Amino acid sequence: MRVVIGEDEALMREGLSLVMTGGGIDVTAVAGSAPELVRIVEDHRPDLVISDIRMPPDHVDDGLKAVLALRRSRPGLPVVVLSHHVQRQYAAELLSEGTGGVGYLLKHRVADIDGFLGDLRVVASGGTVLDPEVVAAMVERARRTASAVEALTPRQRDVLSLIAEGRTNGAIARRLAITEKTVVQHTSVIYDRLGLAETGDDHRRVLAVLRYLAG
Amino acid sequence: MTPTRTLPSTGPRALSASLWYLAAAIVTVALVEGPLLVAANPEYPAVVAIFPIVGLLYSAMGLVAWWRRPSNRVGGVLVLGGLFWMLSGLSNATQPVLIAVGQITATLPFAVLAHLLLVFPTGRTLVRGSRVVIATAYATTLFLQAPIYLFGPDHPGSPLLVALRPDVVAMAQAFQRGCAAAIVIATAVLVVRRYRASTPAVRRALAPVAAYGLFALALVPLSANVISPLTGMDPITLFVVQAIVLGFVPVALLLGVLRGGFARTGEIVELGAWFRSHRDRSELTKALGDSLGDPTVELAFWIEEQSRHVDLDGGQVDLPDPSSGRAWSPIVLDGRQIGAIVYDESLVADPDLVDIAGQVLAIGLDRQRLTVELISSRDALRESRSRIVEADERVRRQLARDLHDGLQGRLVVLAIEAQRLTNQLPAGTEREQAAQLRSGLDVAIDELRGVVYDVMPALLIERGLPAATLEVVERMPIPTELVCDPRIRRLPATIESAAFFVIAEALANGLKHSRADRMSVSLGVEDEVLLVEVADDGVGGAVPRTGGGLGGVADRVEALGGRVRLTSPPGVGTRMVVRLPCAS
Repeated sequence: MRVVIGEDEALMREGLSLVMTGGGIDVTAVAGSAPELVRIVEDHRPDLVISDIRMPPDHVDDGLKAVLALRRSRPGLPVVVLSHHVQRQYAAELLSEGTGGVGYLLKHRVADIDGFLGDLRVVASGGTVLDPEVVAAMVERARRTASAVEALTPRQRDVLSLIAEGRTNGAIARRLAITEKTVVQHTSVIYDRLGLAETGDDHRRVLAVLRYLAG
Repeated sequence: MTPTRTLPSTGPRALSASLWYLAAAIVTVALVEGPLLVAANPEYPAVVAIFPIVGLLYSAMGLVAWWRRPSNRVGGVLVLGGLFWMLSGLSNATQPVLIAVGQITATLPFAVLAHLLLVFPTGRTLVRGSRVVIATAYATTLFLQAPIYLFGPDHPGSPLLVALRPDVVAMAQAFQRGCAAAIVIATAVLVVRRYRASTPAVRRALAPVAAYGLFALALVPLSANVISPLTGMDPITLFVVQAIVLGFVPVALLLGVLRGGFARTGEIVELGAWFRSHRDRSELTKALGDSLGDPTVELAFWIEEQSRHVDLDGGQVDLPDPSSGRAWSPIVLDGRQIGAIVYDESLVADPDLVDIAGQVLAIGLDRQRLTVELISSRDALRESRSRIVEADERVRRQLARDLHDGLQGRLVVLAIEAQRLTNQLPAGTEREQAAQLRSGLDVAIDELRGVVYDVMPALLIERGLPAATLEVVERMPIPTELVCDPRIRRLPATIESAAFFVIAEALANGLKHSRADRMSVSLGVEDEVLLVEVADDGVGGAVPRTGGGLGGVADRVEALGGRVRLTSPPGVGTRMVVRLPCAS
């Protein structure tokens, strides 16, 4: 897999490169600013783009804007954005288009090396991954604004959160120490209550849930 | 210096009232006299009408001058002159009594004119010898006129005729002519002497009026004794010419009196009132000049630290010598001289009233000085508090940036290293320790994120107040509503921070103390003022404390020129309203 990194912090850049090359991923190029990122991606056509949200020149959300622009010109381009903080609103913006292949992770999640690399592969294949903290904020908000979410049992909300994070049924089962069959039962109820269509496609269901949660 | 003159006990209102009565009386006389004379002289109706008309003109100008400058005699003399004009016209009536009155007062207007010229513009004679000349003028016109109607065929049916003595009449007329000439010359000399003793500014004011007045005065005997015989002018025409020339005199005099002359205490009182409603010092000199009737008045202020007087612009002022024609009067407050009023002696003859003006000024100036000091110190205080808040803001943002860019990234990289180390080690105690190292770093990262958030939330910097507030509201454990005016865009950084931290603090306090079920936050904007409200439906009874949480952020708001209001009725809930001016 060929990846382009957008990150202006030197240390973080090195850390990311190390993690990825250690995982057998080819770091094609590195950009230090949002405009540079757009140029490099257009030149190199990588399989995945990872970028910090906050980048030069404005140091506000330049990276996010650049990535969204790239996805508009190449729909479905897999992107993962990183930030030090949970910003639910950025997640909503990322998900607003409706196509998969997006990820939003907190930077310290990179230290979970194996998990991080797994997340990258999920996104590269068209899946959606959200940092658990981001998901927690979204579920919490949904719990208060949507009565359907409020009506779920705590265990069902846990399952919902893990779905939103992009985990497979197997991963959810392991995480909650229940059987996969129970997980499937829970997900049925959840889709029913939230009014979402059952879909076999893992990626699409995550997206459906996320769009529901993002409002 | 205390004023020795006592203030009149009647106020300005009483004076105006009596002047109205006087005006009414004079108008009545004129309205009676006019038709009477016209009826008695049907061949020359316009000519005889001149008497009441000119009389009214003199009286009108005199009344105005008297009203505006009651302590100035010029007004009164003008009214008298008007009265004499009307009376002297009565010799054209048919009733003997009226004719007699007219004959006696026939030439009095001439004396009045001389009198006016010599007391103009202050109403007092300033040059020695003026009184003599005035007395002589009245004596001439009264007594030397007598032989003409007592002994001469002055008028058909003269009621006062005693005997026909043409020789006496001739002698009296010759004497009168001589006296008139002498009076004209004497008046001219005195007026010129006064003119030469005046400052250039005063001369400019006096010259036109004095010149015209002297010309009018000289015209009377000149036209009667020289021009008329030479040109063969008939008496009617002669009279009309004289009347026209003399008729303009009161207008000129009035203008001169209003520019010169000086104030009554009523106007000084007005000066004080004016002072209270105007703060602008530069208009003060003009107002003082108007009140005192001296356009050349100057104000000087004593600067203790520099031991000198300065004017309004800060330039040096030297107080004039006594002989220079300009005088000065100190402005004294609490026994200290804080300034001086410099004025023209010939325009403002009564120093007592200048003292009174100085006292009014002293009080007003002191109050103004204190107000200005208070305002400027309050402004300075507010500015310094505002600068402190802005400096604090910069430090916070810089700190957040440094922590964010530097330290957080460094910790994440360390965590990555720790994880790689863990992955590389075989299972055992070392691997355990590496894993612990990794989780220790996770904790540090988390704590640091909390610190950065407390110092300056990223979303506040990146997206502004509404977004950052929304984030806080969403994290609230109890239902909290946010209403935000869509017109709110990015505001100045200090305003956004002040508002945000007030909201965060208020929400935290509400959670801690209010036992509320719901809270609400509203952001609005009105006329460039940001309105923030945080409310809850809890137990109420909240009291703002200085120094503690809400007190601290309230101080920040006030340092930026805003206000915080807390209402917290027990049992009902708490509502905090913050207003922050955000014009940047």
